[in-house]
Amino acid sequence: MRKAGIGAIDKKRLMEARLKDHGEEIAAEQLKQLSTSLETFRVKLQEFAMKHKNEIRKDPEFRRQFQEMCASIGVDPLASSKGFWSDMLGIGDFYYELGVQIVEICMANNHKNGGIMPLEELFHRLVKSKGSTASQGLATDDVLRAIEKLKILGNGFSIIQLDRGRILIQSVPGELSLDQNQVIKAAQQNASITLLELKVKLGWQEDRSRKILNDMVAGGLAWIDTQTGASNSDILYWFPSLFNANINTL
Amino acid sequence: MASKERFEMPWQYNFPPFFTLQPNLDTRKLQLEAWSALILKYFRSHRLHIIDVNEAQSSPLFHNVSLNRKLSTETIQLILEELRRTGHLEWMDKQKRRGWILWRSVDDWAKLLYRWAIDNGMSNTVCTLYDLLHGHDTADEEFHNMDQDLMQRALKALELQKKAEVISMDGNIGVKFF
Repeated sequence: MRKAGIGAIDKKRLMEARLKDHGEEIAAEQLKQLSTSLETFRVKLQEFAMKHKNEIRKDPEFRRQFQEMCASIGVDPLASSKGFWSDMLGIGDFYYELGVQIVEICMANNHKNGGIMPLEELFHRLVKSKGSTASQGLATDDVLRAIEKLKILGNGFSIIQLDRGRILIQSVPGELSLDQNQVIKAAQQNASITLLELKVKLGWQEDRSRKILNDMVAGGLAWIDTQTGASNSDILYWFPSLFNANINTL
Repeated sequence: MASKERFEMPWQYNFPPFFTLQPNLDTRKLQLEAWSALILKYFRSHRLHIIDVNEAQSSPLFHNVSLNRKLSTETIQLILEELRRTGHLEWMDKQKRRGWILWRSVDDWAKLLYRWAIDNGMSNTVCTLYDLLHGHDTADEEFHNMDQDLMQRALKALELQKKAEVISMDGNIGVKFF
C-alpha cells in the first residue's frame, strides 16, 4: 500500500512537471509570437513614419494621432533627440525648440502674472513670436507635449487642469503648494474668492485660509479688491491668470 | 495724420482690483505702470492735456461705472506722481491740483510746431497764437486745440533755440518762426 502510494505520487509529480514544461513552452511560444508581431508593428510604424514624414510634421491632428499610436506600443519619439525617430522625423528638435521658446515666454511674463498663464495665452504668444508661417500647423497639443518634456528638467513647469477643459501653465520655480492649487481651483469660476467663500468651499480654518491668501498676494499671484460694495470687510482676492483665462484675451 | 483713433480700454480696466491700490510692492509697481500707460494713451487719444485732481474721479477713466469701481484720490495722486517722475507730468500749481499730462514732451511739441511752420512756408511771417491753435491750417495737427499755456511753453522753448519769436500785439499773441 505504502509503496504503491508513493508511486502514485511520483507519477502525479511527473505529470505536473511535464505539464509545467509544456505550459512554459506555450508561454514562450506566445511571447515569441507577440514580440515578433510587436517587432513587425514597430517596423510597420517606422515605415509608416517614413512615408508620412511630412504629414507628421505639418498636420497637428495627424501628429497627435501618430503620437498616440507610438505611445500604445511604448515608443516615445520624443524621449531623446538622438535615435531613429528624431533623426527620421526631426520632431525631437521640433519639441526641443518649442520648449526653449516656452521657457523664454514664461520667464519674460513671470513678473506680470506671478508665473501662471492660461494655455491659450501662451499659445498666442508663441504664434506671435514664431511668426505666422513658422507657426503654421502648431497646435496647443504640441505645447502641452513640449511642457511634459520640460518636466524632465525639474519641477519648474506644470500643467493645472481646470473645469471645462481650461488649462493653466505654471512656471514658477518650486511648485504651487497643494493648498494654493486648491485655492486656484476654488476661485476658477469667478476668477476671485473671498476669505469666507474659501473657508466654506474647502472647509478650512480661518487662519489657514487667511495665510494662504496672504501668501498668494505676497507672491504676486493674487490682487486684492476692497470695493466689493456690500460689506467692506470682505476683500475679494482676484487671480489675473484666471481672469484672463475667463475672458480669453491677452 | 492719424486723427482720433477709436480708443480701447486695456483688459485691466475691467479687472476690478485694478482700482484698489495693491499692497504687494511688485504688484503695485505693475499696477502703477499700467495706469501710467493707460492715462497717457487715453489723454493722447482724446487730445487732452490737463488733469485736475479734484475732478479726476468723475472721469470714466478713473471710474468704471459698470464695475462700480473707482480709484481713490490718494491713488490717483500716487499715479500722477509716478508720471511726474518719468517726465510725463508737470504740475501747474504748488498744491499739485492741476497738471499738464505730457504725452509729448514740451521739446517734442516745440519740434512739431517748428516742423509744421517750415513745411507750410510760415517762416519769417507772423501768425497768431489763435490761428496756430484753432485755425483751419492746423486742423489735422496734433497741436490743434491744445492747451494754450502748454503751447506757449513750447514756443518759449523755440525762442530759446532762436527758432521763433513770440510777439505781443495789442492783447493778441503772435509768433514769428525763423
